[in-house]
Amino acid sequence: MATATYPPPPPYYRLYKDYLQNPKSAPEPPPPIEGTYVCFGSNYTTDDVLPTLEEQGVRQLYPKGPNIDFKKELRSLNRELQLHILELADVLVERPSQYARRVEEISLIFKNLHHLLNSLRPHQARATLFHILELQIQRRKQVVEDIKRSRSSMMRTAITEYLS
Amino acid sequence: MDIISQLQEQVNTIAALAFNTFGTLQRDAHPVKLSPNYPDPPPPSNPTEDPATAAGNVSEQPKLMTAALVKAAKQFDALVAALPPAEGGEEVQLKRIAELQAENDAVGQELQRQLEAAEKELKEVQELFGQATDNCLNLKRPD
Repeated sequence: MATATYPPPPPYYRLYKDYLQNPKSAPEPPPPIEGTYVCFGSNYTTDDVLPTLEEQGVRQLYPKGPNIDFKKELRSLNRELQLHILELADVLVERPSQYARRVEEISLIFKNLHHLLNSLRPHQARATLFHILELQIQRRKQVVEDIKRSRSSMMRTAITEYLS
Repeated sequence: MDIISQLQEQVNTIAALAFNTFGTLQRDAHPVKLSPNYPDPPPPSNPTEDPATAAGNVSEQPKLMTAALVKAAKQFDALVAALPPAEGGEEVQLKRIAELQAENDAVGQELQRQLEAAEKELKEVQELFGQATDNCLNLKRPD
Protein backbone atom coordinates (compact mmCIF):
# COMPACT_ATOMS: atom_id res chain seq x y z
CA MET A 1 0.00 0.00 0.00
CA ALA A 2 1.40 3.38 -0.98
CA THR A 3 1.97 5.81 1.83
CA ALA A 4 2.56 9.46 1.06
CA THR A 5 1.78 12.74 2.75
CA TYR A 6 -0.75 13.86 0.13
CA PRO A 7 -1.55 10.74 -1.90
CA PRO A 8 -3.54 11.19 -5.10
CA PRO A 9 -7.11 9.82 -5.17
CA PRO A 10 -7.27 6.10 -6.01
CA PRO A 11 -7.52 5.38 -9.75
CA TYR A 12 -10.84 3.44 -9.45
CA TYR A 13 -12.81 6.44 -10.66
CA ARG A 14 -12.06 5.50 -14.28
CA LEU A 15 -14.15 2.35 -13.90
CA TYR A 16 -17.32 4.38 -13.27
CA LYS A 17 -17.24 6.35 -16.53
CA ASP A 18 -20.48 4.85 -17.92
CA TYR A 19 -22.25 4.41 -14.58
CA LEU A 20 -25.18 6.68 -15.45
CA GLN A 21 -25.93 4.86 -18.68
CA ASN A 22 -25.28 1.36 -17.42
CA PRO A 23 -25.04 0.90 -13.64
CA LYS A 24 -23.90 -2.69 -14.09
CA SER A 25 -20.74 -1.78 -16.01
CA ALA A 26 -19.00 -0.57 -12.85
CA PRO A 27 -17.71 -2.94 -10.15
CA GLU A 28 -19.81 -3.64 -7.05
CA PRO A 29 -18.75 -1.95 -3.77
CA PRO A 30 -16.42 -4.15 -1.70
CA PRO A 31 -18.08 -6.48 0.83
CA PRO A 32 -17.92 -5.57 4.55
CA ILE A 33 -14.62 -6.46 6.17
CA GLU A 34 -14.49 -9.21 8.75
CA GLY A 35 -11.77 -9.83 11.25
CA THR A 36 -8.93 -7.36 11.66
CA TYR A 37 -8.03 -4.52 9.34
CA VAL A 38 -5.33 -1.87 9.08
CA CYS A 39 -6.36 1.78 9.11
CA PHE A 40 -3.79 4.60 9.00
CA GLY A 41 -1.08 2.22 10.09
CA SER A 42 -2.75 0.70 13.15
CA ASN A 43 -4.69 -2.53 13.52
CA TYR A 44 -8.37 -2.53 14.35
CA THR A 45 -10.76 -5.37 14.91
CA THR A 46 -14.37 -5.58 13.77
CA ASP A 47 -15.37 -7.58 16.82
CA ASP A 48 -15.90 -4.98 19.57
CA VAL A 49 -15.71 -6.83 22.84
CA LEU A 50 -14.37 -5.74 26.20
CA PRO A 51 -11.08 -7.62 26.76
CA THR A 52 -10.96 -9.51 30.03
CA LEU A 53 -8.55 -8.42 32.73
CA GLU A 54 -6.31 -11.45 32.17
CA GLU A 55 -5.83 -10.41 28.56
CA GLN A 56 -4.53 -7.08 29.82
CA GLY A 57 -2.26 -8.76 32.35
CA VAL A 58 -4.20 -7.55 35.39
CA ARG A 59 -5.26 -9.78 38.30
CA GLN A 60 -9.04 -9.96 38.75
CA LEU A 61 -10.09 -9.28 42.32
CA TYR A 62 -13.83 -9.91 42.03
CA PRO A 63 -15.15 -13.46 41.47
CA LYS A 64 -15.63 -14.68 37.92
CA GLY A 65 -18.85 -16.32 36.80
CA PRO A 66 -21.90 -15.76 34.65
CA ASN A 67 -23.94 -13.72 37.12
CA ILE A 68 -22.00 -11.16 39.10
CA ASP A 69 -23.72 -9.14 41.82
CA PHE A 70 -22.40 -5.81 40.60
CA LYS A 71 -23.57 -3.74 43.54
CA LYS A 72 -21.97 -6.02 46.13
CA GLU A 73 -18.68 -6.25 44.24
CA LEU A 74 -18.51 -2.49 43.66
CA ARG A 75 -19.12 -1.81 47.34
CA SER A 76 -16.51 -4.32 48.49
CA LEU A 77 -13.96 -2.94 46.02
CA ASN A 78 -14.65 0.57 47.33
CA ARG A 79 -14.06 -0.62 50.90
CA GLU A 80 -10.83 -2.35 49.91
CA LEU A 81 -9.70 0.83 48.17
CA GLN A 82 -10.20 2.90 51.31
CA LEU A 83 -8.32 0.31 53.38
CA HIS A 84 -5.43 0.33 50.95
CA ILE A 85 -5.25 4.12 50.99
CA LEU A 86 -5.01 3.99 54.78
CA GLU A 87 -2.33 1.30 54.52
CA LEU A 88 -0.36 3.49 52.14
CA ALA A 89 -0.52 6.35 54.61
CA ASP A 90 0.74 4.01 57.37
CA VAL A 91 3.54 2.65 55.23
CA LEU A 92 4.69 6.15 54.32
CA VAL A 93 4.99 6.95 58.01
CA GLU A 94 6.63 3.73 59.20
CA ARG A 95 8.50 2.18 56.26
CA PRO A 96 8.63 4.80 53.49
CA SER A 97 10.75 2.69 51.16
CA GLN A 98 7.99 0.12 50.67
CA TYR A 99 5.45 2.44 49.10
CA ALA A 100 5.68 0.87 45.62
CA ARG A 101 3.85 -2.33 46.50
CA ARG A 102 0.95 -0.44 48.09
CA VAL A 103 0.69 1.97 45.15
CA GLU A 104 0.59 -1.03 42.80
CA GLU A 105 -2.22 -2.60 44.81
CA ILE A 106 -4.20 0.65 44.75
CA SER A 107 -3.84 0.92 40.98
CA LEU A 108 -4.90 -2.75 40.67
CA ILE A 109 -8.09 -1.97 42.59
CA PHE A 110 -8.79 1.01 40.34
CA LYS A 111 -8.30 -1.10 37.22
CA ASN A 112 -10.71 -3.71 38.59
CA LEU A 113 -13.26 -1.01 39.42
CA HIS A 114 -13.14 0.41 35.92
CA HIS A 115 -13.32 -3.01 34.31
CA LEU A 116 -16.37 -3.90 36.39
CA LEU A 117 -18.08 -0.65 35.38
CA ASN A 118 -17.24 -1.26 31.73
CA SER A 119 -18.72 -4.75 31.89
CA LEU A 120 -21.98 -3.16 33.08
CA ARG A 121 -22.31 -1.35 29.75
CA PRO A 122 -23.68 -4.30 27.67
CA HIS A 123 -26.26 -4.86 30.39
CA GLN A 124 -27.18 -1.18 30.15
CA ALA A 125 -27.41 -1.41 26.36
CA ARG A 126 -29.81 -4.37 26.56
CA ALA A 127 -31.93 -2.59 29.17
CA THR A 128 -32.08 0.52 26.95
CA LEU A 129 -33.14 -1.62 23.97
CA PHE A 130 -35.85 -3.24 26.09
CA HIS A 131 -37.10 0.18 27.17
CA ILE A 132 -37.14 1.52 23.60
CA LEU A 133 -39.08 -1.54 22.36
CA GLU A 134 -41.64 -1.11 25.14
CA LEU A 135 -42.11 2.56 24.25
CA GLN A 136 -42.50 1.70 20.58
CA ILE A 137 -45.12 -0.96 21.30
CA GLN A 138 -47.02 1.48 23.50
CA ARG A 139 -46.97 4.17 20.78
CA ARG A 140 -48.09 1.74 18.07
CA LYS A 141 -50.97 0.47 20.21
CA GLN A 142 -52.00 4.06 20.85
CA VAL A 143 -51.99 4.84 17.12
CA VAL A 144 -54.02 1.69 16.38
CA GLU A 145 -56.61 2.76 18.97
CA ASP A 146 -56.76 6.27 17.50
CA ILE A 147 -57.28 4.95 13.98
CA LYS A 148 -60.01 2.54 15.15
CA ARG A 149 -61.75 5.33 17.03
CA SER A 150 -61.70 7.79 14.15
CA ARG A 151 -62.87 5.10 11.70
CA SER A 152 -65.81 4.17 13.90
CA SER A 153 -66.77 7.82 14.46
CA MET A 154 -66.57 8.44 10.73
CA MET A 155 -68.80 5.42 10.08
CA ARG A 156 -71.32 6.67 12.63
CA THR A 157 -71.39 10.17 11.11
CA ALA A 158 -71.76 8.74 7.60
CA ILE A 159 -74.63 6.48 8.68
CA THR A 160 -76.44 9.28 10.52
CA GLU A 161 -76.03 11.58 7.52
CA TYR A 162 -77.30 8.90 5.19
CA LEU A 163 -80.32 8.20 7.35
CA SER A 164 -81.23 11.86 7.82
CA MET B 1 -25.38 11.83 32.60
CA ASP B 2 -26.27 8.16 32.97
CA ILE B 3 -25.50 6.37 36.18
CA ILE B 4 -22.57 4.31 34.89
CA SER B 5 -20.80 7.41 33.58
CA GLN B 6 -21.41 9.06 36.94
CA LEU B 7 -19.89 6.06 38.68
CA GLN B 8 -16.86 6.20 36.40
CA GLU B 9 -16.46 9.92 37.06
CA GLN B 10 -16.70 9.27 40.79
CA VAL B 11 -13.94 6.62 40.61
CA ASN B 12 -11.71 9.11 38.81
CA THR B 13 -12.53 11.77 41.41
CA ILE B 14 -11.56 9.41 44.23
CA ALA B 15 -8.26 8.66 42.47
CA ALA B 16 -7.53 12.36 41.97
CA LEU B 17 -8.37 13.17 45.61
CA ALA B 18 -6.18 10.32 46.85
CA PHE B 19 -3.08 11.34 45.01
CA ASN B 20 -3.65 15.04 45.66
CA THR B 21 -3.88 14.21 49.37
CA PHE B 22 -0.63 12.27 49.40
CA GLY B 23 1.11 14.80 47.20
CA THR B 24 0.13 17.72 49.41
CA LEU B 25 1.08 15.88 52.59
CA GLN B 26 4.42 14.99 51.12
CA ARG B 27 5.07 18.53 49.97
CA ASP B 28 4.10 20.22 53.20
CA ALA B 29 5.48 17.72 55.70
CA HIS B 30 8.22 18.79 58.13
CA PRO B 31 11.67 17.36 57.33
CA VAL B 32 12.62 14.23 59.27
CA LYS B 33 15.52 14.44 61.72
CA LEU B 34 18.13 11.90 60.59
CA SER B 35 20.31 12.00 63.69
CA PRO B 36 19.99 13.58 67.13
CA ASN B 37 23.38 15.25 66.63
CA TYR B 38 22.19 17.50 63.85
CA PRO B 39 21.03 20.93 64.98
CA ASP B 40 17.36 21.88 64.56
CA PRO B 41 16.61 23.95 61.48
CA PRO B 42 15.90 27.63 62.09
CA PRO B 43 12.18 28.35 62.47
CA PRO B 44 10.53 30.05 59.46
CA SER B 45 11.08 33.82 59.73
CA ASN B 46 7.49 34.88 59.09
CA PRO B 47 4.63 32.36 58.85
CA THR B 48 2.47 34.71 56.77
CA GLU B 49 5.10 34.85 54.00
CA ASP B 50 4.66 31.16 53.31
CA PRO B 51 1.20 30.85 51.69
CA ALA B 52 1.02 27.03 51.96
CA THR B 53 1.33 26.92 55.73
CA ALA B 54 -0.63 30.12 56.21
CA ALA B 55 -3.57 29.10 54.06
CA GLY B 56 -4.34 25.91 55.79
CA ASN B 57 -2.16 25.09 58.74
CA VAL B 58 -0.31 21.83 58.40
CA SER B 59 -2.72 20.11 60.77
CA GLU B 60 -5.90 21.42 59.11
CA GLN B 61 -5.16 20.34 55.53
CA PRO B 62 -5.06 16.57 56.12
CA LYS B 63 -8.40 16.77 57.92
CA LEU B 64 -10.05 18.66 55.07
CA MET B 65 -8.58 16.41 52.40
CA THR B 66 -9.44 13.18 54.15
CA ALA B 67 -12.96 14.48 54.75
CA ALA B 68 -13.27 15.14 51.01
CA LEU B 69 -11.95 11.64 50.24
CA VAL B 70 -14.40 9.98 52.62
CA LYS B 71 -17.24 12.08 51.21
CA ALA B 72 -16.34 11.00 47.67
CA ALA B 73 -16.29 7.35 48.77
CA LYS B 74 -19.72 7.74 50.39
CA GLN B 75 -21.06 9.33 47.20
CA PHE B 76 -19.77 6.33 45.28
CA ASP B 77 -21.64 4.02 47.65
CA ALA B 78 -24.80 6.09 47.19
CA LEU B 79 -24.47 5.88 43.41
CA VAL B 80 -23.97 2.11 43.61
CA ALA B 81 -27.14 1.85 45.70
CA ALA B 82 -28.97 3.88 43.03
CA LEU B 83 -28.12 1.34 40.32
CA PRO B 84 -31.24 -0.39 38.98
CA PRO B 85 -31.60 -3.99 40.18
CA ALA B 86 -29.94 -6.53 37.91
CA GLU B 87 -32.80 -8.77 36.74
CA GLY B 88 -31.43 -12.13 35.74
CA GLY B 89 -28.50 -12.63 33.44
CA GLU B 90 -27.80 -12.06 29.81
CA GLU B 91 -29.97 -14.94 28.54
CA VAL B 92 -33.05 -13.77 30.43
CA GLN B 93 -32.65 -10.26 29.05
CA LEU B 94 -32.15 -11.49 25.49
CA LYS B 95 -35.21 -13.74 25.79
CA ARG B 96 -37.35 -10.83 26.95
CA ILE B 97 -36.04 -8.64 24.15
CA ALA B 98 -36.90 -11.36 21.60
CA GLU B 99 -40.43 -11.61 23.04
CA LEU B 100 -40.85 -7.85 22.89
CA GLN B 101 -39.61 -7.80 19.32
CA ALA B 102 -42.17 -10.46 18.32
CA GLU B 103 -44.91 -8.44 20.02
CA ASN B 104 -43.66 -5.30 18.29
CA ASP B 105 -43.85 -7.03 14.91
CA ALA B 106 -47.40 -8.25 15.60
CA VAL B 107 -48.55 -4.78 16.69
CA GLY B 108 -46.80 -3.31 13.65
CA GLN B 109 -48.70 -5.62 11.32
CA GLU B 110 -52.00 -4.78 13.03
CA LEU B 111 -51.16 -1.10 12.61
CA GLN B 112 -50.42 -1.66 8.94
CA ARG B 113 -53.77 -3.43 8.45
CA GLN B 114 -55.71 -0.67 10.22
CA LEU B 115 -53.88 1.94 8.18
CA GLU B 116 -54.69 0.24 4.89
CA ALA B 117 -58.35 -0.16 5.86
CA ALA B 118 -58.54 3.49 6.91
CA GLU B 119 -56.95 4.64 3.66
CA LYS B 120 -59.40 2.55 1.66
CA GLU B 121 -62.33 4.04 3.53
CA LEU B 122 -60.91 7.52 3.01
CA LYS B 123 -60.79 6.91 -0.75
CA GLU B 124 -64.35 5.62 -0.74
CA VAL B 125 -65.57 8.62 1.24
CA GLN B 126 -63.73 10.98 -1.08
CA GLU B 127 -65.34 9.29 -4.10
CA LEU B 128 -68.77 9.50 -2.56
CA PHE B 129 -68.19 13.12 -1.67
CA GLY B 130 -67.17 13.83 -5.23
CA GLN B 131 -70.28 12.14 -6.55
CA ALA B 132 -72.49 14.03 -4.12
CA THR B 133 -71.04 17.36 -5.14
CA ASP B 134 -71.43 16.44 -8.82
CA ASN B 135 -75.05 15.59 -8.21
CA CYS B 136 -75.58 18.83 -6.35
CA LEU B 137 -74.00 20.80 -9.16
CA ASN B 138 -76.07 18.99 -11.77
CA LEU B 139 -79.29 19.54 -9.87
CA LYS B 140 -78.62 23.22 -9.37
CA ARG B 141 -80.51 25.31 -11.92
CA PRO B 142 -78.47 27.85 -13.76
CA ASP B 143 -79.69 31.31 -12.96
